[in-house]
Amino acid sequence: MTAAPRTLELFYDVLSPYSWLGFEVLCRYKKLWNINLQLRPSLIAAIMKDSGNQPPALLPRKAQYLQNDIRLLGQHIQVPIQLPKDFFSVILEKGSLSAMRFLTAVNLEHPKMLEKVSRELWMRVWSRDEDISEPKSILAAAEKAGMSTEQAQGLLEKISTPKVKNELRDTTNAACKYGAFGLPVTVAHLDGQTHMLFGSDRMELLAHLLGEKWMGPVPPAINAKI
Amino acid sequence: MTAAPRTLELFYDVLSPYSWLGFEVLCRYKKLWNINLQLRPSLIAAIMKDSGNQPPALLPRKAQYLQNDIRLLGQHIQVPIQLPKDFFSVILEKGSLSAMRFLTAVNLEHPKMLEKVSRELWMRVWSRAAEKAGMSTEQAQGLLEKISTPKVKNELRDTTNAACKYGAFGLPVTVAHLDGQTHMLFGSDRMELLAHLLGEKWMGPVPPAINAKI
Repeated sequence: MTAAPRTLELFYDVLSPYSWLGFEVLCRYKKLWNINLQLRPSLIAAIMKDSGNQPPALLPRKAQYLQNDIRLLGQHIQVPIQLPKDFFSVILEKGSLSAMRFLTAVNLEHPKMLEKVSRELWMRVWSRDEDISEPKSILAAAEKAGMSTEQAQGLLEKISTPKVKNELRDTTNAACKYGAFGLPVTVAHLDGQTHMLFGSDRMELLAHLLGEKWMGPVPPAINAKI
Repeated sequence: MTAAPRTLELFYDVLSPYSWLGFEVLCRYKKLWNINLQLRPSLIAAIMKDSGNQPPALLPRKAQYLQNDIRLLGQHIQVPIQLPKDFFSVILEKGSLSAMRFLTAVNLEHPKMLEKVSRELWMRVWSRAAEKAGMSTEQAQGLLEKISTPKVKNELRDTTNAACKYGAFGLPVTVAHLDGQTHMLFGSDRMELLAHLLGEKWMGPVPPAINAKI
C-alpha cells in the first residue's frame, strides 16, 4: 500500500536563474520521490515590489558574487546556464511579463506542456542570451518545446485577456501569501503543515522534511542531460 | 603519496546563526576531507557597512522566513539553535564586538582553543539555556578591558577587511584555495558545492563516522 503523494508547489519565473536550478532538480526528483509537483508560473518583479525587497544584483558585491555562484552551481547541477552579456539589462529592464503570461496560458490550456515550454524559455534567456520579451521569441520557444505554430499562436493571442492576467496575478499573490520575498519558492504540504522554502539550495532540507533520500542535484537512474 | 591539504578559510561571527551552521558542518568534515580549516573570527556588522548591505532581518518577510529556516536547518544539521522571539532586536542592540575581539585574542594566544570557545559563545547566544543568562554587562566589561588592546582590535579589523576583499557582503564566507584559484562561497548552504569543487564526497550535514552530538 503506497502513501498518497505529497504536493509540492514550485513558484518560479524564467527571469530568475536560481528558479531554473531549483526547477531542474525538482523535475529530476519528481520521478524518484513520492511527490506531486505543481508548477506555478509567477512574476518575480511583483513579488519584489510586494515584499519591499530588491533584486540582489542591485548591490555591487552581490552582483559580483552571483555571477560566479550561478556559473559554479550550473556546473555542479549540470544545467547549461551562461550569463547573458548584459545581465543587468535582462533582469532590470526587459523583464518577463509576456513570457510568464504565456506560461500561465499554457498551464491553463495545455498543462502537460508547461515543463518543456518553461525550459525552452530559460534556455533562450539563460543559456543562449536570446530575447524572451518579443512575441516571435516566445513562439520560437514554444515550437522548440514541441507545440505547433497554431497552438502557440493561439495561446499568444490570449496573453492579454483578463483570464490569463488574473491567473498570473492570483498565482503571484499566492506566493506572497506564503511569505515569498523572491523566487524560487517551494511549498511542501506535509501532514497538514505547510513549509515554504526559499531558494534552489533548500532541496536537501526538503528531502529531510519529506523523509526521502537526497542523492545530490544529479540523482542516478535518470539521464541528467537536458 | 598524499596530496597537500587544501586551505579553507571560514570567516564567521557568533552573532550570525548561519555562521554556526556552516562552522559545525566544516568542523565535522575537517576530519574527513583533505583540508586545512582556518577559522577567521570577523565582524558581520562591519562587513554589512562596508558592502552597503543590510541584515536580512530588517525586511519583514525575510525576518519571518529566517525564523523557520534556522529552526528547520538546526534540526536537519543537528545544531541546537533556538531563536528567542525578540532575537533580532536583542542582537541588533547588543552586537558582538566584545565576543569577536575575545575570539580574536584566543586565536592570537591559544589558537587550538578557538573552535571550542567559538562554540561555547554560540551556545550562550543561541541556546535556550543561555537565553536568560546572556552575556551580562559585567562580563562584557571585564572582557573588553582585557581585549581592547591595539593588537587585538587591529587583528579583528584586518581579518574583517580580508573578508571584504574576498567580496563578502555577509557571513559565513568560506574561501577555498584550490589549484592556484580562490573560490569565495557565501552561506551555510554551499557545502555540497564546496565538496564538488574539492573533489570530495558530500555525505550530508551529519556525515557518518563521527559523533554528531555537540
